[in-house]
Amino acid sequence: MPRLGAAARGATVLCLAGIAGAAGAGVDPGKATAPRMEFVPPPPGSYALQKIQRVADAVLLDSTGGAVRLSALTRGKITLLTFFYTYCADPLGCPFAHTTLADLRDRVRADRGLAGRVRFVSVSLDPTHDTPAAIATFAQVFNIDPAFEWRFLTARRVPELLPVLDDFGQDVSVELDESGRATRTLHHMLKMFLIDARGEVREIYSLAFLQPQVMFNDIKTLALEAGRTAAAT
Amino acid sequence: MRIQSLRFLSLGVAALMSIAHIASYADETCNSPYMSGLIRGQEDFVHVWTLGVPGMGDGSDKLVTVDANPASKTYGKVIHKISVGGRGEAHHMGFTDDRKYLWAGGLDDSKIYVFDVGTDPSHPKLVRTIDNLSAKTGYVGPHTFYALPGRMLIGSLSNAADKGGVTGMAAYNNKGDFIAKYDMPTSAIQKIQGDGYGYDIAVNPAKNALLTSSFAGWNNYMRDLGEVVKDPEAMKHFGNTMVMWNLKTMQPDQIFAVPGAPLEIRWALAEGQNWAITATALTSKLWLVKRDAGGAWAAKDVATIGDPAKIPLPVDISITADAKGLWVNTFMDGTTHYFDLTDPEHPRQTFAKHTGSQVNMVSQSWDGRRVYITSSLLSKWDKAGKDNEQFLRAFHWDGHDLTPAFEIDFAKEQLGRPHHMKFTANPQRLASLVNASPR
Repeated sequence: MPRLGAAARGATVLCLAGIAGAAGAGVDPGKATAPRMEFVPPPPGSYALQKIQRVADAVLLDSTGGAVRLSALTRGKITLLTFFYTYCADPLGCPFAHTTLADLRDRVRADRGLAGRVRFVSVSLDPTHDTPAAIATFAQVFNIDPAFEWRFLTARRVPELLPVLDDFGQDVSVELDESGRATRTLHHMLKMFLIDARGEVREIYSLAFLQPQVMFNDIKTLALEAGRTAAAT
Repeated sequence: MRIQSLRFLSLGVAALMSIAHIASYADETCNSPYMSGLIRGQEDFVHVWTLGVPGMGDGSDKLVTVDANPASKTYGKVIHKISVGGRGEAHHMGFTDDRKYLWAGGLDDSKIYVFDVGTDPSHPKLVRTIDNLSAKTGYVGPHTFYALPGRMLIGSLSNAADKGGVTGMAAYNNKGDFIAKYDMPTSAIQKIQGDGYGYDIAVNPAKNALLTSSFAGWNNYMRDLGEVVKDPEAMKHFGNTMVMWNLKTMQPDQIFAVPGAPLEIRWALAEGQNWAITATALTSKLWLVKRDAGGAWAAKDVATIGDPAKIPLPVDISITADAKGLWVNTFMDGTTHYFDLTDPEHPRQTFAKHTGSQVNMVSQSWDGRRVYITSSLLSKWDKAGKDNEQFLRAFHWDGHDLTPAFEIDFAKEQLGRPHHMKFTANPQRLASLVNASPR
């Protein structure tokens, strides 16, 4: 299995997020376009989000290198989870995802009713290069508020990541060069998963659906739902 | 459909037009173009969801894979087929959001088959069969499979209780687990009566819009068409509505009266576009659903297809990637039409050609240079005798004429009745994380 050399680390890298199997002659990523929102989103609490699937548990690594159960980070709070890798450079890939998340973080921080009730989780697609130290460095840009929980995770090895990808239905593949060697380009369809405090996926956003106001309303909808459930019990 | 049925069909349509509410139906090159993995240039494979025919081969419904790359030694040949072990009126299929899997349904037995076309698209594998649609929803006849992120939204045609046209949509996650059901509206919205019928579904994420059309229930689509059109009561039971849903809330916002069974729906998804188009089977019209400056949607008929008096029976449509053109097949006269959609309010037919004794599905390649046509509409509605041609025909399109590329005789090859088509391409120079790690 090819590994990253020092020289290769400096090479130009590309992430084709939003694309599945896009290399070569056949499958075309098409020209990715930023999501548009040409409508007034329905207000929070005026609709119910589907219960799509429960999140399976797994053991991953946090940015300190400590083992952490995924279930501990997908329950107890409303969680927005996405997959990334630190060196992804596609403007509409992981960087766009994290820009969107930063926007949402600020919206959540400004809403007192959501204080302490929302977390973000970013899971690396590349355990080989995204070591705990690497994701810790990457996380510094985003963890600007100690009161807001934004966790960055990786895995000890690829085999420990694969069941997580399979459970979420997150595709990823490695582009090969003409001689069949792996490059530093990962192909994956950009997705974010909104998970309720009981560990159930309630919405999934691909690139066309990354509309921050809608996503914020969805978060508030889950918060209102949890409040109603608590009141009923 | 027998030729003599035409006269009765005309009578039936006249009867249909006299009833209070109306319905419609349509299809696309890729069902969820906002998803991923669209094909650039030459597609490698055409997958054809094929109805089994008793006494023809194994008689089973099957997914037939055809090599569509001219550079291949097996170009234009069937390279793979996988039978599902029964005959359930194979009809439509749709990709999952990542285009790795193809969901295919049976209108009669309501089974849903999930094929892996991502691992090796030249050799699809059946990986899952879902048989709880009716038990979970009360619907039967899964028709449209429309990918949403991590899910499949399924538009049905009928219901288990009376096999009529009142039906709904079902959401499943990509693992095949049922999530939710949504009944088509049967009450009035803004004084337009809902008929509860369903057919196609199409999403525009930028507008939070889900548009549905309407066709007919099991009682009609699994009955000989000649009998249906001679039965005035049966002819009352076609859909005459389209519904605009709020995609986020999954609640119907508006109902449109669209007479004559509106079928496939295609959105213009480019920035600045605010419309979708469909074709009505029984009234032979193109209908535009467009949002006005005030934000309200309205439907209006914008063109005729052939001579509606002769009931050409528009079936499938295929919109070009830039939404500037539309292919329309008319089943009865075996004609493939091309409309210029530069002005979607005034489509102009610029080309028409007889492409078979009966033609149903039409799919244009994403680059617009090839057009594929299949022959079968429904097992009980196909023509009889020598007109019962069963084929996949591929054409080159140069902007002026369709010229034959290759043809497969599905009867001669003992395959069945070819219906819906989907394209795939070899995932070249890609490796799974299992086998490779980025350098």
